[in-house]
Amino acid sequence: MPSSISNFKRRLRLPRLFFRKPTQVESVHGGPPLEYVRPIPQLAWRGITVTVVLIVIAAASAWELYCRSIGYGPTLNDNEDLWTSARRRVKPESIVIIGDSRGWYDLDLDELEKGLGKRPVQLAMGGGCAYPVLEDLANDENFHGTVICSVVPRLLVAPPGSPPMDRAGKAVRRSHTQTPAQRASQYLAMPLEEHVAFLKQEELTLDDLLKRLPIPNRPNAQVQPRLPPYFGTLDRERRARMIEECARPGSELAKMTQKIWIPLFTPPPPPAYIPEKEFAKTMGQAINQRFNDVAAAVQKLRARGAKIVFVRFPYSGGLKTLEDRETPRAGIWDRVLKDTGAPGIYYEDFPDLAGFNCPEWSHLSAGDSMEFTKRLIPRLRAALQM
Amino acid sequence: MLFNSLTFVVFFVTVVAAYWSIRSWNARKNLLVVASYIFYGAWNPPFAALLFSTTAMDFWLGRQMSRAKGRRSRRAWLVASVCMNLSMLGFFKYGNFLLQNFQWLLARIGIIYQPPHLDILLPVGISFYTFHSLSYTLDIYRDVLKPTKSLRDFVLAVSFFPQLVAGPIVRAGDFLPQLVRPQPLRPGQFLWGLLLMTLGLFEKIVLADTMLSGSADRIFTYAGPLIALDSWLGVMAFAGQIFFDFAGYSTCAIGAALCLGFHLKDNFRFPYAAIGFSDFWRRWHISLSTFLRDYLYIPLGGNQVRPVRAGTNLVVVMFLGGLWHGAAWTFVVWGLLHGSYLVVERVVRALFQHRAWANHLATRILGGFATYAAVCIAWVFFRASDFTVAARMLGGMFGGHPHGDAILSTREILQIALVTAGMILVHWSLRDSNIETAVMRLPRWVVTATWAFMACAIILTQGSSNAFIYFQF
Repeated sequence: MPSSISNFKRRLRLPRLFFRKPTQVESVHGGPPLEYVRPIPQLAWRGITVTVVLIVIAAASAWELYCRSIGYGPTLNDNEDLWTSARRRVKPESIVIIGDSRGWYDLDLDELEKGLGKRPVQLAMGGGCAYPVLEDLANDENFHGTVICSVVPRLLVAPPGSPPMDRAGKAVRRSHTQTPAQRASQYLAMPLEEHVAFLKQEELTLDDLLKRLPIPNRPNAQVQPRLPPYFGTLDRERRARMIEECARPGSELAKMTQKIWIPLFTPPPPPAYIPEKEFAKTMGQAINQRFNDVAAAVQKLRARGAKIVFVRFPYSGGLKTLEDRETPRAGIWDRVLKDTGAPGIYYEDFPDLAGFNCPEWSHLSAGDSMEFTKRLIPRLRAALQM
Repeated sequence: MLFNSLTFVVFFVTVVAAYWSIRSWNARKNLLVVASYIFYGAWNPPFAALLFSTTAMDFWLGRQMSRAKGRRSRRAWLVASVCMNLSMLGFFKYGNFLLQNFQWLLARIGIIYQPPHLDILLPVGISFYTFHSLSYTLDIYRDVLKPTKSLRDFVLAVSFFPQLVAGPIVRAGDFLPQLVRPQPLRPGQFLWGLLLMTLGLFEKIVLADTMLSGSADRIFTYAGPLIALDSWLGVMAFAGQIFFDFAGYSTCAIGAALCLGFHLKDNFRFPYAAIGFSDFWRRWHISLSTFLRDYLYIPLGGNQVRPVRAGTNLVVVMFLGGLWHGAAWTFVVWGLLHGSYLVVERVVRALFQHRAWANHLATRILGGFATYAAVCIAWVFFRASDFTVAARMLGGMFGGHPHGDAILSTREILQIALVTAGMILVHWSLRDSNIETAVMRLPRWVVTATWAFMACAIILTQGSSNAFIYFQF
């Protein structure tokens, strides 16, 4: 009588090879023979590889030289892993800078250290909303230090899912979920980024280069406004400094950056698929919710003995006209201070802070950032009762 | 650890250098075990212990099964292995999904139950290594594999780092024989492995992430109605993205294994040149489809049962295949849709396969495009976050929103069109061949230029890339 296994084989109708008796070598594991050996194309692989390596080195060197010749220099990329390494440096009593790129470019860490007695940790980020980081600090039971929060009204009330919220949210999430492999990659990437100019993740990647192709679009195509070009450097502490080319008044780079801020700061039209009234109502609710959330986070921080001060940094030119029209001081700034009960420093209120000019309308030059910080310190000390 | 990360570059160079500088075969295998666990632990170290415990249990169960005398006790050990593996998968992958559905069912009969949300972190690649490990006990039960005496070898077979987290699903029976004695490197094998790794990274970083993923994401996350052109382009972008993402990972895995002297089978064979859905599944994720065929479809009766039963079996297998991909009903619908496609194809073949026009070139080309279109329709459910999104997408694709929005830029449209056309052209031109034959036929300068182009494009993307889609499965 045939065994059940034989029946099984017969039903399967599999080839003899699969069930044949194993050879001596195979019987070590008793398994089927090694049925599959990948074919290897027989070409002159050594010559091909050497040629490929030479071409790649030559192409990368040429690209590097070209990038340097048009003004790019080596600097770190501001990604979630670099932010996470800074977040890791926050101690219970640290001074922490959060918010957008104005708090990032306009504050000098050396001057702050001299004036406040502690070296602050820089957690502000370009185009980022302050709220996710504020919430993260509020939820960190160990933290009872000092928070300096830069406010660009449009970014502070950016709705969930918008790029400013995504950017900050991703960084916060990464700081909680960073894997050892991601951490190692960051350590390996930093020396490369400090020496190679074309390693700019938001500027010179293939994707960015393709986005810059001058191809006309359909009338209704929804194309994200372009981000500003490279105008600053970043170090391992996440200190941002404007490069000299941009700081030079009237430079082409400064002019180009000015042009880019306008569409970036102009509110997009409401989506066509939602009635305008309904959209305005939803946005109003989202903004109110943000005020409540910010107030709750501040309350939580202060309950633990932490201090917070909101700061409005200088901005100028056409961008100032636009921002003051779209987000007047009485709208968001005053409401934040009222709801949170926290102190605020609005640069225009102080003549010694009001006289600075932003070369590209949004940030101070590296030199001005030092002077501005020096002058800001007494105001910070007063606001924070230090 | 991602293949497209600097950490992996350093890791791989170190492992390869150490591997080939060691003479002892046992020491080499020990090195690979340690390296594989570092590779896995670099994501979340505690889950390496879970990986080891699953592997050790299956090793032990395999032994017990081979020692068991009667068929009943063998079956009992197999059941133990299947339950252990599937319960592990069930807890980590389907825990919250099952609870949510249980809650929904209770609500239907009027019982309000608020289950606690289980904060379960899904171990990366659990669906893959569970199947690697499970294939061992299944093959021992089927009498096609004798248990290995070496726990180290089995641990390596399950955890071999190139295929550990996102496949291909390499069966223990395919890998263990390669651990018997060192596999000598054949001329060109190492460098061909490097070229395959470059190709895989190019597919993933350049084609999937740079050229297609942005458009696919924009279309699938757009909250408003879209016109047919944009809807179809979004789905085609995703069809290309998921192919290049997953096939890219498999190609990298095959290349990395070749550099270490191991041979993994193809996981993709130009699937978008498939004519019919059975052909598609012979070309797409081959290691999963053959796994389901051998361990599920054939034991259920395969083709040897009545047509209605065989059709039902197909749908059941594809339902489970869909569920394997993710704990959501959208994946189940994707699987059921493919099951239905396969059943319809059988009926159509039975009715028309002997007609003269059935094998005409025009019919075949038409069949190919119909297959691609149907596969794209199924991808809607695979990619959509829920049924509302899927319904909106399908509505757009079939002209339901003639006054909908047109959001893609001309650049995005060109990228999708060029990459999709290139992909389909390559698939059709190589559908009855393989990449090795194609490379052999190319002039040397073309191979050199293509390799250099791919490497330069990878450098230009600067690694600002996403995780592989199949990591989440």
